[in-house]
Amino acid sequence: MLESRVNVNLTPEEIAEAKRRLGREPNEIELGMIDVMWSEHCSYKSSKKVLEILPKSGRRVVVGPGYDSGVVDIGDGDVIAFKVESHNHPSAIDPYNGSATGVGGIIRDILCMNCRPIALLDSLRFGNPQSAHARWLFNNVVKGIADYGNRTGIPTVAGEVEFDESFEVNCLVNVACVGLGRINELTLARMDNPGDIVVLMGGDTGRDGIHGVTFASKTIREDSELERPAVQVGNPFIKKLVIEATLEAMRTGKVTAVKDLGGGGLTCALSEMSSKGGTGVDVELTNIHVREEGMTPYELLLSESQERMIFTILPESQDEVLRVFRKWEVPYSIIGKVTDTGRIVAKYRGRIVVDIPSKLLTEPPMAKRRARKISIITKKRASKPPIPMDFAKVMHHILSSPNIADMHPVYRQYDHEVGLRTILKPGDADAAVLRIIGKNKAIAVKIDCNSLHCYLDPYAGHAAAVAEAARNVTATGAKPIAVTDCCNFGNPEKPEVYWQFKEAIRGITYMLKGLGLPCVGGNVSFYNEDEESGRAVKPTTTIVMLGLIERLSLVTSMALKEVGESIILLGKTYPELGGSEYYRLIGFDGGKVPKAVASRERASIKTLAEAIRRGYVTAAHDCSKGGLAVSLAEMAIKGGLGLKVDLAYVLHTPSMRIDEILFSESSARFIVTTSEVNTAKILSLARRRGVPASKIGEVSASSYTVAMNGKILFECSVESLRESWQDAIPRLIGG
Amino acid sequence: MIIENKKLARDPEGETIAKELIERRGISTIKSVRSGKYLRFLVEAGKEEEALRLVEKIANELRIFNPVVHICNIRIMGESR
Amino acid sequence: MKTAVIQFPGSNCDLDILHVLKNVLHVEAELVWHRDFKDSEFGAAILPGGFSYGDYLRAGIIAAHSPAIEHIKEMVSEGKLVIGICNGFQILVESELLPGALLMNQSTCFICKWVKVRVETDETPFTRHIKRRTVLNMPIAHAEGRYVNDPEGLKELHENDQVIFRYVNPRGEVSEDSNPNGSMDSIAGICNPERNVLGLMPHPERASEPVLSPFSDSDGLKLLSILKS
Repeated sequence: MLESRVNVNLTPEEIAEAKRRLGREPNEIELGMIDVMWSEHCSYKSSKKVLEILPKSGRRVVVGPGYDSGVVDIGDGDVIAFKVESHNHPSAIDPYNGSATGVGGIIRDILCMNCRPIALLDSLRFGNPQSAHARWLFNNVVKGIADYGNRTGIPTVAGEVEFDESFEVNCLVNVACVGLGRINELTLARMDNPGDIVVLMGGDTGRDGIHGVTFASKTIREDSELERPAVQVGNPFIKKLVIEATLEAMRTGKVTAVKDLGGGGLTCALSEMSSKGGTGVDVELTNIHVREEGMTPYELLLSESQERMIFTILPESQDEVLRVFRKWEVPYSIIGKVTDTGRIVAKYRGRIVVDIPSKLLTEPPMAKRRARKISIITKKRASKPPIPMDFAKVMHHILSSPNIADMHPVYRQYDHEVGLRTILKPGDADAAVLRIIGKNKAIAVKIDCNSLHCYLDPYAGHAAAVAEAARNVTATGAKPIAVTDCCNFGNPEKPEVYWQFKEAIRGITYMLKGLGLPCVGGNVSFYNEDEESGRAVKPTTTIVMLGLIERLSLVTSMALKEVGESIILLGKTYPELGGSEYYRLIGFDGGKVPKAVASRERASIKTLAEAIRRGYVTAAHDCSKGGLAVSLAEMAIKGGLGLKVDLAYVLHTPSMRIDEILFSESSARFIVTTSEVNTAKILSLARRRGVPASKIGEVSASSYTVAMNGKILFECSVESLRESWQDAIPRLIGG
Repeated sequence: MIIENKKLARDPEGETIAKELIERRGISTIKSVRSGKYLRFLVEAGKEEEALRLVEKIANELRIFNPVVHICNIRIMGESR
Repeated sequence: MKTAVIQFPGSNCDLDILHVLKNVLHVEAELVWHRDFKDSEFGAAILPGGFSYGDYLRAGIIAAHSPAIEHIKEMVSEGKLVIGICNGFQILVESELLPGALLMNQSTCFICKWVKVRVETDETPFTRHIKRRTVLNMPIAHAEGRYVNDPEGLKELHENDQVIFRYVNPRGEVSEDSNPNGSMDSIAGICNPERNVLGLMPHPERASEPVLSPFSDSDGLKLLSILKS
């Protein structure tokens, strides 16, 4: 009887385990709830064990992994909540609505902590722009993020876009949200007090997201596929009202907890909140405000309709809170009470339809996965490509690579100013900088990864991703303080994919420990692979780095500032061109992936931070993607000034070729500019920390000039470089 | 060509117009509003059927609508002079 | 004089303008929910930027039906000052307090960037302290900001000296490439014939503190400081 009506993804062992824990056969509704809660998406059953090795504590950590978002103390009673999540699968089939609802979901995670969302960041990956499908995904994802983010009044301040054929079918859409709150006003999404009133607030509940679960109910069969979309449509207008109503409701002091409804809907929210508080909850499903008629208990418990929040309110105090909801004209329904039973009891028209322990849902059995090393990956080729004849031409080529080129066609579609916090705007620096209004301090945020490096060497690539993000915030004048991450991988049941995942987490852990940084939360997205070809995306864990800028006077951008200033390169250059933009451009497959060594990173970061603190630095830029040549060009373009550098002064390993010096993507390097008088001071700071550093040239008026031992190798006008860099995306994508 | 969200997909624009503009005026005889996009094509073709097929074809091939979320209705408006 | 900042569902620059008025300019200002707004308490009103009612149907049209607009009209007839910024400008146009229409940008997408606007007249209460032809740095952030009007309407605007701001290039000249959204005659802001209602697409509140400006200036204050009196 049971099996004939419910088609679940649970394995026979999992079903047996569920029965054992429940002490009876679960009914079909309960089985559906278990199915969803024990799914990879909700349970992290393949990843939880691996993620345990990440460092999670630190003196600034207020809330670590396990809640809706991580929270970090930035002093003076202020806290930052931040979280990143993927919305890859919906975006791949409906890029506009898929990316929009991705933004909606991550905003709710910040709201749950009683923090005001103050910034969005996005990390996007698509197939080669030559493909019409990739361009269609790109344009619609950007529009979806813009239309949703802009309407909610949260600025989109930073991001990255990468193009690679492995993302042709499965694009990656990772969106991060940053929130600001007060340490003594934080709330945790847990039901601690039996007797509290449970209220569902926000958008109406419909059958959204349920058709994905293969439940053979009569009502669903009546809905033709033609009438129901495969991806939800978000309503950013309602979201804006939900944000303001939630924050205002919290100010009444009568709300004890808030949680958003995302994957797993009401089931997930109720079970996680009660399980964390060691309580239970009784709800009457008939009270829920609905959009569609005749919804079954199963559908009400598992609907994933957007823009909904669960509130628990002190007994007898609901009027004050509900008045706020009425002012903002957001619908709500009182659906039940917190109990001390440890069970979720759901009634439908007064009849009990579900009675199941919360912890049964939230503590699923872990999956056992096998890992197998992929041996083809670490290629080490002795052969090298021929040295290019015309370096100026290479410069123009590499600056117009879609992975390097100016992304203004993307970020000008985002409102990056709303909120009056954005000091360094998209493109100004390695990270976005947001001030804390009323205080002499700011935060820097960055989202980053290099999927090609991560593919060629998941351990080294991911360690380098953490290091690069840390350097990025450092270059703006910030001290890196915490990280959250978003893992995007193929099918974890395949040992090779699982190996990539384990290596990635090992690499991230190594660098976090080396830099003394905690990981305060994260998200894992598996099964990013094309069903037909079985081809997985390149393993990509995007790193969101948070930095704290202790005084506004420390804020540093990358633009060159003044003719005659010295250009200093911090860090040593190694022949590490495996997976470099230069090799990608000339189609050369080989070379070593840059190796990030924690001690070197730490020394470089500390040197730059100290130089900035002492007021020596006029511009700073991390030297990574595209190498020294590209990083210098970016600084020149931003400043509208030229430069002259001599490669003879670049500190590198012996017998490196010119193209290797120019385009190696070695880690632990920064380019900084400074006045003539402060040049020696920066070099001496570097020496004291054992960081190889040298003055490699000077800022000039308008020409980008590269010499070797005084002999000019090539020269181009900064204006012409700017054109190549600026025109590339409109030319490749249109717009 | 009229492109609308599928019947069971939300339509925030139509819903807001119905609720905030019409219902607020106390008009209760309008039960719902759906928004959409309207494109008019001038097609060089011998027969209406031929024109219809051509527009259908490009709508599908060029992803003028996304079948994941939209329904697309194509009608003949008449002949140009 | 107390200034009201009117908050519509979907407004999102309401707190920003309030911050500038209270903490930067130190003028008396209050955030008022659109349904609670009564004109009698206030000497001036600001309709802030954002996406009232999600910009659905047309930006500003649904908010134009709010009861708050009746009170705004009352204020206007009493000669009090009303400023609409971005979405506020769209609401004023849809309420027929300002002439013309604001359509989708020429580029068909949302644009956020810093622009230069030139003050075309100092014969308004809003610009009486700014010299004519002064160029101000301010950011725009909108999807529907292309100002259009019919030929007579446009002629009337110019003849009555109702065009207050135009988009210009760094040399202060009106040009094709410095018109960010395709507005007719590069119009960025206008006033009513009685000269007490101002609508503009750029955001003066985002250009009121040097720390936020790429030019380290605070040109927006030149305009907003009229609320000090």
